[in-house]
Amino acid sequence: MAESASVRSGAVGSPAAGGAPSRDGLRADPGASSVGVLRSAFGRPGAALAHAGVRPGSAVSAETVPVLPGLRDVVPGGALRAGSVVEVDGSASLGVALVAGVSRHGGVERQGGWCGVVGMPDFGVLAAAGMGAEPERLLLVDEPGERWPDVVAALVESVDLVLLRPPAAPAGAAVRRLSALVRKHGCVLALSGPYGRQWPGVQLRLRVAEAEWAGVGDGHGLLSGRLARVVAEGRGGGRSAWVWLPGPDGTVTAAAAARPALEVVG
Amino acid sequence: MSRVLAVWCPDWPVTAVGVDAATPGAVVADGRVAACSSAARAAGVRRGQRVRDAQRRCPDLVVRDRDGDAEGRRFERVVEAVAALVPKVEVVRPGLCAVPARGAARFYGGEESLRVLVQDAVVEAGFDCGAGIADGLFAAELAARSGGGGIVVPAGGAAAFLAPYPLSVLDRPELADLLQRLGIRTLGAFAALPSGHVAGRFGADGALAHRLARGEEPRPVAPAPAAADLSVREEFDPPAAHAEQVVFAAKRLAAELHEGMAAGGLTCVRLEVTAGFADGGVLRRLWRHEGALSALAVAERVRWQLSAWRAPEEAADAVWGGVAWLELAPDQLVPDEGGQQALWGRSTVTERIARAVDRIQALLGHRGVTRPVVTGGRGPGEQVARVPVGDLPPAGVPDGPWPGRIEGPAPAVVPPAPRSAAVTDASGETVGVSARCAVSAPPAHVAVAGGRAERVTAWAGPWPVAEYWWDPERARRRARFQVVTAEGHAYLLAVEGGRWHVEAVYE
Repeated sequence: MAESASVRSGAVGSPAAGGAPSRDGLRADPGASSVGVLRSAFGRPGAALAHAGVRPGSAVSAETVPVLPGLRDVVPGGALRAGSVVEVDGSASLGVALVAGVSRHGGVERQGGWCGVVGMPDFGVLAAAGMGAEPERLLLVDEPGERWPDVVAALVESVDLVLLRPPAAPAGAAVRRLSALVRKHGCVLALSGPYGRQWPGVQLRLRVAEAEWAGVGDGHGLLSGRLARVVAEGRGGGRSAWVWLPGPDGTVTAAAAARPALEVVG
Repeated sequence: MSRVLAVWCPDWPVTAVGVDAATPGAVVADGRVAACSSAARAAGVRRGQRVRDAQRRCPDLVVRDRDGDAEGRRFERVVEAVAALVPKVEVVRPGLCAVPARGAARFYGGEESLRVLVQDAVVEAGFDCGAGIADGLFAAELAARSGGGGIVVPAGGAAAFLAPYPLSVLDRPELADLLQRLGIRTLGAFAALPSGHVAGRFGADGALAHRLARGEEPRPVAPAPAAADLSVREEFDPPAAHAEQVVFAAKRLAAELHEGMAAGGLTCVRLEVTAGFADGGVLRRLWRHEGALSALAVAERVRWQLSAWRAPEEAADAVWGGVAWLELAPDQLVPDEGGQQALWGRSTVTERIARAVDRIQALLGHRGVTRPVVTGGRGPGEQVARVPVGDLPPAGVPDGPWPGRIEGPAPAVVPPAPRSAAVTDASGETVGVSARCAVSAPPAHVAVAGGRAERVTAWAGPWPVAEYWWDPERARRRARFQVVTAEGHAYLLAVEGGRWHVEAVYE
């Protein structure tokens, strides 16, 4: 018992005296020291920004929902804020990439999270798997029907990210209810499609501003990837980066170097 | 003395490897004939012969290795056929089984009629056999082997029946050899020796053989108890017209089932729910159970099953005529060892996820929420199977190679059904692909689903795919293209029979 307490005190930084059980070790257990453990856990570079933007006293909701490493330069803070509503526009790959990021890096202890995909019967499961998603942790609701807000509400309470293409214009009551549930459970609601654009209170909007496909020529070649400039707009201000979305091996990676702007020479 | 019915299948090791009696065949073990078919025996093949000698006597002999597993496995079908008439079958060895005959003979109207009935049942199952009834297993086996298909040895007549048999039937070569040299050549002569002296000279095993020869049994038949039937069933009379009524009964049945399984310390991997309708239709479905379903959860699954059935029907009520009966049967009983979370590897559906799934399935039906499983296939849509949560993933994923599969990054948009497209060349003609995979002209414009035409900036293909070419019903020939348009879209197109489709969009 005393042995374990001294080990715990070691974890917060005060070195326990060489294996000897001490009063110091017992004292270091509650209160302040556990906050210290949390602090050090959130001291990672990715979490720092999100931590700063959260109301004081709610250290637990400062949790973030991770994105793929290739998108960390674009998304403010390097991760999605838990409990936020995000919109993806223009490119289905962006939604797939968000799902893949959570499925691969999210969840408890970052061992992989669960995602729900609602109202997207054309969701490219293979593309998600190529970006790193684990298909067995995806829940697909292809035809949510008229009661889609209930379906989303059920998912929001248990999964880490819900990718939703609303089948109809969202009613005000449904929006308020879902937004509140998302905030309460620390889930991320990612919206796409024409009705997704009408969702009020979106905190972050991701879109592909420019893109260029590589690999296919004039009757020869094989599609190998797309170099896309992904733009993030929202409260964190505008950011953009060139990303392989997807790359030749199906993954999402940041483009090696910023492409030099074309300029007239000679 | 108990009456025993023995069912004996001749040359079972040969039958089990698929050689019938009319074909000269032999099963060999260690280079010697272990068993041979009757046709081979007629040609002079004998047990214990070397394979070379056997083949000399019978040049067209079919020789197979002995397969002990197959013997046991195939004999199970014989046992099933016998068990359908008389439960409590003891399998003595593959090729021979025995049942206590007394009660069954009374039930089927005499020993001879029982013998004929059992013999017919096994022959109907597709196996040649003999059936015999006698006092004790030893005599019964010999009775099954004698005559054209077995005989009934009357009670008390075993010793007389056995007397003329040679000593070799005891299956104790050393003892038989010794007795031969002592001048004893039949069971009858052996049985006439005083038993005390036999035991003193030949030991316990000799005494046992002596008992056999005298028509006494060394031990009674010990049938394995039949597996308890834990399935539960409820009949509805009149047929239940409302799902509620069935679900209510299902809850009670599930409690009963769980009680029965708990009494045996068992749980089941899957649960089979079968609902029979008044019009004769039967709805059967397996649900994953693993000891994790409560009675209420089982009832809920019955409700989903019923609603899934009613969904495709236009008129809900009268078409199916109501549920006439409902049966819950455990599938794959295993000892109940409590729940154990997966340590690593497969992610199990956690309780939290299961609750959300239950709610969605209650809203949308069982097929409403699915988990994707990546399987084999060529097209991007064919490589993913969507399995309703709670169902088992499809078994036996076909593995490749998949010639014609498009490599490279997978498309992000895969419509469930291909959308039609119009692909035209510079002069406005539809682009075609000849049987030799020559493209009529480079594609210049693509219009998806009747939309605006997009100018093609780059394209690649064709990648031909011929599927099921050996089956005229299912044969498909397609050629796939990748096309990038000026709008920045990239499509995976397929042309089949002169028609273009969008199979997927890289977006």
